[in-house]
Amino acid sequence: MTGPLELDRLSRRFGDVTALDGLSFSVPAGQVVGFLGPNGAGKTTAMRAIFGLTDLDSGSVRWAGAPVGAAERRRFGYMPEERGLYPNMPVAEQVAYIGRLHGMDARAAASAASGWLERLGVADRAASKVGSLSHGNQQRVQLAAALVHDPEMLVLDEPLAGLDPAGMDAIGEVLVERAHSGHCVLFSSHQLDLVEDLCESVAIIDHGRLVASGTVDELATSGPRRLVVRVEGDREGAWARAVPGVRVSEVNGGEVRLVLDQGADSDAVLDAARAAGRVTTFTFERRRLSEVFREAVSW
Amino acid sequence: MSKLPYVVVIAVVAVIVRLGLRRRARARTPRPGAARAGRRPRPVLGDTGLVAAREIRERLRGRVFWIVTVILFGAVAAAVLIPALRGHGTASQRIGVVAGSAPLDAELRALARGTGLSVTITTEPGLARARAALAAGRLDVVVDGAGTILVDKPVSPADTSAPARYVRAVSEALGAQRAFARAGLTPRQVATIAGARPVPVASLQPARKARTTAETTALLGVILTFIVLTQYLTWTLMGVMEEKASRVVEVLLAAVRPIQLLAGKVLGIGAVALAQAVALVAFALALAEAAGSSLVHGAAPLVAAAALGWMVLGYAFYSWLYAAAGSLAERQDQVQSLALPLSAPLILGYIASLVSVSSGTPSLLVTVLAYLPPTAPFAMPVLVGFGEATWWQFALSMALTLACTVLVALAAARVYRRAVLRTGGRVRLRDTLLGARAPARGGTPSPRGLAR
Repeated sequence: MTGPLELDRLSRRFGDVTALDGLSFSVPAGQVVGFLGPNGAGKTTAMRAIFGLTDLDSGSVRWAGAPVGAAERRRFGYMPEERGLYPNMPVAEQVAYIGRLHGMDARAAASAASGWLERLGVADRAASKVGSLSHGNQQRVQLAAALVHDPEMLVLDEPLAGLDPAGMDAIGEVLVERAHSGHCVLFSSHQLDLVEDLCESVAIIDHGRLVASGTVDELATSGPRRLVVRVEGDREGAWARAVPGVRVSEVNGGEVRLVLDQGADSDAVLDAARAAGRVTTFTFERRRLSEVFREAVSW
Repeated sequence: MSKLPYVVVIAVVAVIVRLGLRRRARARTPRPGAARAGRRPRPVLGDTGLVAAREIRERLRGRVFWIVTVILFGAVAAAVLIPALRGHGTASQRIGVVAGSAPLDAELRALARGTGLSVTITTEPGLARARAALAAGRLDVVVDGAGTILVDKPVSPADTSAPARYVRAVSEALGAQRAFARAGLTPRQVATIAGARPVPVASLQPARKARTTAETTALLGVILTFIVLTQYLTWTLMGVMEEKASRVVEVLLAAVRPIQLLAGKVLGIGAVALAQAVALVAFALALAEAAGSSLVHGAAPLVAAAALGWMVLGYAFYSWLYAAAGSLAERQDQVQSLALPLSAPLILGYIASLVSVSSGTPSLLVTVLAYLPPTAPFAMPVLVGFGEATWWQFALSMALTLACTVLVALAAARVYRRAVLRTGGRVRLRDTLLGARAPARGGTPSPRGLAR
């Protein structure tokens, strides 16, 4: 992946813990990029580094080829993992204030704030104090605060955590729309199914290093092949466990999902299945993002 | 004449504020690489001004602010009016004389002059009528020529107020006159004895003078400074801590520099503090003028202006420290242990100054404290109140405080920058002050210090 935002060999240690270990990747414009990794992989540290919120031991963050400075950050939008808003400040005033800190004049900030609150379905709470809102609504306000100044790049740390399906849809829709209008959108998540639906590309990190990246399509069609087989009379897929070069990744409603090693022969699998009973399903499938993730982070 | 004090106070405050703003605006020179910066011309104070404006709105929104303001105005009104009213109450004593004579009236007037009272003497037709007038409050003292003195409430021997001393003096004088009469002295001899004057007592130490109005103003100034400083410095500390605890600081620092956020908070809360203090002082002077209090005369307005100026300097000095302390904490319970060492010099300066004003002499301690920046905001106005500070001493102390404020602000900005984003427990001061690592703000590592 190439794109305007480049993270170049970022390293950061906290005492004995290595949070970032030469992490490099780019974020292209025009697509939603998912940022994945197990807990403690360094996702939050990397995102904070983009905003200069953590010191780096080495490495640099560049935007359009130039090091990111205060002026660039003004044109970025950020939604941190641990949400941060003034609990006693009215919603609309708070969103507008953050817009002003990003360089908007008072009138533009106020109208953008009310526009985004409307769009995210919290316009009726514009005069309420943030602390009085539900978790889901606070999250929407937080997103509005990240979007109010129409940023060229949006960085969101776990934007979907703790949301109901309607909230996820509302936020997901906004992210896709932002990306398709030519902006950079990078967000981290643990909900891999959702990432698969929303993202065109992903970057997967583990132990502070990049372990996989590319478009979801590329990643799904690369790597070990998947076979889904149903054999009548053997709902547990016991027949498959003896086939060399084949691993059963899951058994679901009588169907077994198999991972084929590089050298494994699908004909041999078919023969083994037929020997066990009547074969009613025999389909090659794409890797799911969750499988890409597990294989990349060596679970 | 009457408008002058206000004009002086307002002018001094305006000059200080203007100088402060200009210094800050000049400090904000744009970096060469930041040419593509804004979509609009930045406001006068830039992001610092935006942060400060939010602080001001936030403080004015809070109910605590208005409650405290009302209490302070009430306290100032009481401090100005009560002495003024008491002064009126004791100015004149109404004496009713039964079976009196011209020499008795003359004697009563002479004794009143001796105790600093003015008296109105009326002749009462009879003791019963006089007693009734006393009970009804139309008279303060009844003197019966036959040899009795009547008052409404008993006069304690420990009461040193002027009316009490007067009653005792009348009682002694009348007793002596009766004794002289019984001894069979001629009127001439009686007059000689009655005219006896005490032999003067000379002392090696100079006499302690009564407290002047300038000293009273200094006292009020010290108390007001202490209340305002503790109130607003606590707000600064809590405000920084709350921003850190709610994590809103991450969102803010993604857009502005730490020094801008810190300075905005200090300036915003300071502006509210200054406005409140100026309003209080103006209110006190206006009220004193209206009530005919002595607080507006002589050097008092000058002392008030000095106290106000020192309040600004005191806030400037301490606010950075309190803000830095707030950035080390994340929870309410951590605040106590952080605020205590900071408030110690503040309380020392306050107590030492109070004791000095009450004792009526500038102690050596206060004279020393007047040149130490943490205590000068209390001690220097006291010296001014005593008339013990020359202009150059005043200026020297101010210069020292300003210089230390700059150093303290630099150190505080360093601590703040390193501590405010570090969550999960109290940050140790050593780690933030001594940490040698150059921060890499997303770009290449560079030895840029505070001014990110």
